Formats: sequence, C-alpha cells, structure tokens
Amino acid sequence: MTEDNSTIQLINVRKSFGDFTAVSDLSLSIKPGRIFGLLGPNGAGKTTTIRMIVNITAPDSGSIKLFGRTIDPGLQDRIGYLPEERGLYRKMRVVEQLRFFAEIKSVSRKDVDARIDSWLSRVKLSEWKNRKSMELSKGMQQKIQFLMAVLHEPDLLILDEPFSGLDPVNVELLKDIVLDLKRSGKTIIFSTHQMELAEKICDDICLINRSRKVLDGSLRQIKQGFGRNAVALRIEGDGSVLNDPALVRNVEHHSDELEVLLAPDVNGQVLLHRLVAANVKVTKFEMIEPSLNDIFIEKVSEAA
Amino acid sequence: MRKFWAVVKREYIQRVRAKIFVLMTILAPAMMGFFAIVPSLIFNMQTGGPVKIAVVDQTGRIYQRLSAVLKEPYEPSDLKQEVTELQNANLDKNLKRFSKNGGTNIVLEEVRPDTTPIAAIQAELERRVKSKDLDGYLLLPADLMNGGEPILFSRNTGDLFTSRQLRDALSRAVNAERLGEANIDTVTISKLSKGIELQTVKAGAAAGERDSGEAFAVVFAAGFVMYLTILLYGQVVLGAVIEEKETRIAEILFSSIKPFTLMTGKLVGVSLVALTQLAIWGLAFAAFAVYGVSVLAERGVPVNIPGIPLINFFFFGLFFLLGYYLYSTLYAFIGSMVTTPQEGGQLAMPLVFLLLIGFYFFLPVSRSPDSTFSFWVSMIPCFAPVTMMVRIVTQTPPFWQIAMSLLIGFGTVTLLIWIASRIYRVGMLMYGKKATIPEVWRWLRKA
Repeated sequence: MTEDNSTIQLINVRKSFGDFTAVSDLSLSIKPGRIFGLLGPNGAGKTTTIRMIVNITAPDSGSIKLFGRTIDPGLQDRIGYLPEERGLYRKMRVVEQLRFFAEIKSVSRKDVDARIDSWLSRVKLSEWKNRKSMELSKGMQQKIQFLMAVLHEPDLLILDEPFSGLDPVNVELLKDIVLDLKRSGKTIIFSTHQMELAEKICDDICLINRSRKVLDGSLRQIKQGFGRNAVALRIEGDGSVLNDPALVRNVEHHSDELEVLLAPDVNGQVLLHRLVAANVKVTKFEMIEPSLNDIFIEKVSEAA
Repeated sequence: MRKFWAVVKREYIQRVRAKIFVLMTILAPAMMGFFAIVPSLIFNMQTGGPVKIAVVDQTGRIYQRLSAVLKEPYEPSDLKQEVTELQNANLDKNLKRFSKNGGTNIVLEEVRPDTTPIAAIQAELERRVKSKDLDGYLLLPADLMNGGEPILFSRNTGDLFTSRQLRDALSRAVNAERLGEANIDTVTISKLSKGIELQTVKAGAAAGERDSGEAFAVVFAAGFVMYLTILLYGQVVLGAVIEEKETRIAEILFSSIKPFTLMTGKLVGVSLVALTQLAIWGLAFAAFAVYGVSVLAERGVPVNIPGIPLINFFFFGLFFLLGYYLYSTLYAFIGSMVTTPQEGGQLAMPLVFLLLIGFYFFLPVSRSPDSTFSFWVSMIPCFAPVTMMVRIVTQTPPFWQIAMSLLIGFGTVTLLIWIASRIYRVGMLMYGKKATIPEVWRWLRKA
C-alpha cells in the first residue's frame, strides 16, 4: 500500500457507533482512472466508509488520504457524491436545484447554466428544466440526483447504488456516462450489492462484510483466483476423450452443452489439444469463470 | 463563505417567492384588523327585538328612577378599566357605543305588587316568561335601599349585555334615591358627582399629544407581532430542517458544506425573509399613518395614530432577531432530532409554551415597566424580546439595560448555535428513529 498516485488511500480505518463497529481496520487503495466497486451485503459498512471518504464523518482511528492529501472540507469540491439515501427539494425547480448544488460545489456562476443544459439534454430531461422536482417521476428524480453529483466535474465520483429502481434503458444511459467519465480520467467508486452490475463495469473491487474487508484486488485477478478450472463445451463427434480420468474429473450435461470439470494440473489448452487430436469438432469452448455473485456468496457465507 | 451565501440565497429566494409568503404578508395585517374590528361588530349585533323586563318594585320608589336612568346614555359604572379585564372593558366600550347610537334596548314594564302576594305575582311572571311574552323580570325587595338584594330572573342568563346594563342602571338609581333620602338636592348631586376623565399623556411628550388608549394598542401590537413572528418563523425553520432530513438531502449537502455553515446559512436566510415581511408591514403602517389617516380624517373618520419614535422600529428589529435566532436555533435542533413534521410539532411544544409565557409577561411589564421584576424578566433571553420591547415602548429603560439584554441574549444565541450545530450533523444523518435525550447528550460530548 505505498502507491503514491492513489486517488484514495485508507489506512487502518476504524469507525464505531456506541457498541456497534461499522468499519474495522479497513485499508484500501483506489487508483485513478478506474472504477472501484465497493461491494458487500446490506449493513456491511459501505455507506459509513463512503461517509468518511467524503468527510461527512471522521474515522475514530486510522487515516484517509485523498489525492495525496489528508482530507479537509476544501477537498469536498473535488468529489461528487450520489448517496443511497437521496432526495431533492420538492418545491424547487430542476434548474434552480442544479444551480444550487453546483454553487455549493464552487462552480463558477458563468459556467453553470451551459453545463446544466448540456447535462439535462444528455439524460433527456431538457423539457423538465423548469418543472418542480415533485412533478418528476422517481426515475427522473434519480437522474437529476445523478447530475447533482457530476455537474461540478469532480475528480472522484462516488455512486452509492446509483441504478437501483431505474429501468434498463436508463441504467444503460447512466452506465455509459459513468464509463465515459472513467475514460476521461475520473476515479469512480461504485457501491452496490448488485453483483451482476458490478461485474460489468468495475475494474477493481473490494468486498466488505460485517465491517471487515474480505477480499480486494482487480476483478480479473480475483476471478482467476476463484477459477474452478471448468470449461463450457459444445462438440460434434466422438466425445470419448472426456472419459479419461487423468484429463477430466467430471462432466455435467446441460441441454445443448457440457460443463467439464478438468482434473487437477490439467489446463484448458491440454483438453483442446486432445479434442482436436481426436478429430472432434468443437463449436464452443469457453473457460468458465465464477461469477462475482458466486464469489460474493461464497465469501460471505464462509465468514458467517 | 460563498457556500454560506448560496444557502442563504436559496432559503431567501425560494421562500419570498412562495405564494404563502405573499399571502401571509397581505393577509396578516388584514387578519389583525379583522380580529380587532369583527368582535366589536358582533357585540353590537342585536338580533331579535328589545328585551322586555318586568320590574316588581316592592320599594315603590325605584322604578321611576330606573327607567329614567336607562333612557340616559350608558356609562359603565366601573371606569377602572383594569387591563386584566380587557374583555370586560371591551364589552363596556361596546355597550357605551351602542347606547350612544340608539339608547337602550331594554323595555321595562312596571308591576305594582299592591296587595297581591309576591308568590302569585312571581308565578304569573314565570308563566309570561315561559310563553315568551317577557324576557325576564326583576324582583326588587322592599329593603333594597338597606342592602336587600335585587334578583333578575331571566330566560337567558347568558345575556351579559342586559344584566350588566340593568345592574349599572339599578345601582345608579338606588344611589340617587339614597342621596335624595338624605335631602341632597339632585342638581347639586349631579354637579358634585360629575365624573372626571383621566387623560394619560406620556411624560415628555409635546403638549396636546394626548394618549387615550392608543399607546396601549402600540404596546400590545409590539408584543403580539413580536411573539407571532418569532413563533411563525421558528416553525418555518423547523419545517425547513425536517424537509432536508426527510428528503435525505442532508447527506448530499453535508458532502459539500459544513453542517455549521448549512445551519447558520439557513437561519440567516429565513431571518431575512422575516425581516422582509416585517419591513413590508412597517412600511404599510407608515404609509397608512401618513396618507391613510389624512384621507380618513377628510371623510370625517378621526384616526389617532400615536407617534412612534423611529428608534423603536430599530429596536424592534434587533429584539426580533434576538428572539428569532434563539428560538429558531432550538427549532433547528429539534428538527434534526425527529423524523417527521408531526414528531417535530410535538417536541416543539415546550418552545411554544416558553414563547407564550414571555408574551403573557407583557401585561405585568406594561403596568410597571421599571420594576425589579420587569428588569430581570427583560434580561432573560427567552423572554427578553417581548418584555424588553414592551419596556421600550412604555417607558424606555436606560440604554445600558437594553444593551445588556441584547448582549446576554446574543451571547446565549451564540452558545446555542454552537451546541445545536454539533448535534445537527449527527441528527440529520440518522434516519428511521427519533433521537433520545441520552443519545443527544452523547453526540454533544463526542462532537
């Protein structure tokens, strides 16, 4: 944990409320330009961790560094935060609302309106600009809240369950924006318990459960670490090669394909060679990776 | 600082533009006028015909005098007009106005007892009251002159209007009769007993600047407007804080600005709204004093608006701000502890009582503005806005007292804001349940 270029660095952070420990001994390093998934079941300590990062609460012990500096209120302007618990002023017009939130993030007055217009059109809400927020549907409100987090072009964007309750079209829309922001060099923390989504967009993840870090690293490494050495296979011809116990430990027959669990010390390459040598036609050959969901469930139930 | 002003601006613009603000600004003076005028109009309403009262005069001497007295313009016997008897004083005033306009509405009928036994007469009169031929009858005992008690049997014992008029007329009739008995000439009597009218002129006021009740109205208005606006805007702050908590905006706000900045920005923003409203009312009042009065006077309606020194408006503003910041900070504190407006309303009840007690102090303080009691009560921050204002209007205390009251007050406010902002942050982020006192205490110590 010595990378100096980390956007965020948490070292042995601890936070408790009375007798309840929300975060214990958490160390994290989040690298710039990546999407970092903060994953964990409900009540694991994700929101508390985020609140400490955005300087809403302070850790009991440990240190937090943002952009290489100890956090202070001034750094808050460089963070965009979409909390899980979120809302809008009901009786305020959308444009005024956005202007206000831009203002408290120190966006200069002359830039604000142009930015608001371009963002509103990007999330297809331009015609709602002058409506009061209570007239908006829940999904629309959520998009406005998302804009509140990105309008000031933060270097660090923290999204806590940003897609919950959105329809698939809007999920795609926001996901594209998030990926765009990543491409432009922003660091993004994405907190969720929806593993399918995290799997699609995260580069790195950290899994926390019951206030403790269970697992962290790049998504690829983690998945490899959990590799079950299995292959999804569809073949035409004589499949007797698969009966060799030195090569294959088990075969599961699905509707139109096979799930082949390889023997220890055998990799996919060897199996493919043998199949080709046996003159079998291979129409599908894919190493099966465990889904993040599987890893999540395994890790969480392991700890229980 | 820029963030602070952003919060102030938001609170101010959103509220001043709201329909409710415009409505309240226009309606509040109208409503005050309404409550000042309508009750007296209703008091003067006479539904149904005159009240018919039979008088059984066993003395044989009082009836003539009584009916004569009732034909004179009404003069309430009790001119003391105790402030605590505001309601009664009001009634008397209305009675007076009424009788000026058209004499009494009581029609008397003499019943001579002669030889008929009193019980038989009573039975007959009871029957007539029942059949609504009579509204009541007055039984004057033979020993009325020597302390015997007259009794009014009335179908409607709730008719204060009539019973008061009768009581006053009767006591005057009896007095006149007693004096007559003592052989004192009635002309001399009326000369000797002619009432005097006490004129109150504020010491130091220019000669001819008479004050007949209007100054009291000013004191009352100052106390009442103070009480009402503090209460009103305290509730506004409570609502604003609960809205941010309920809609979960607080979390985004706290990720951008310090809770202290947010809370003070909110308090300042709402205070500017209140000052705007007060300024509009003040200007409207001034416009009325300058133009309205002369227009009304031309049309023959004399309106006497007492001169209010300009400095008093300034003091009003200062003490309003003191009261506002004191109570609104507490309201903000309460707002951050609760989860719904209903809970907030319940928890804020003690504040309303505290304000109300302060408002009630305006009576004793206005009677003796320089008493020790008045001094102390105007130094206690939660009462000072009303009590000190009343003292300033009635009998301006030495400047050092005003300054001290303000100093103690704003010192307390600073302390309260400091405490409240500590609790505010934790309270605002706690969803789902109301905070308990031990919890709040812990937050305060830890923060």
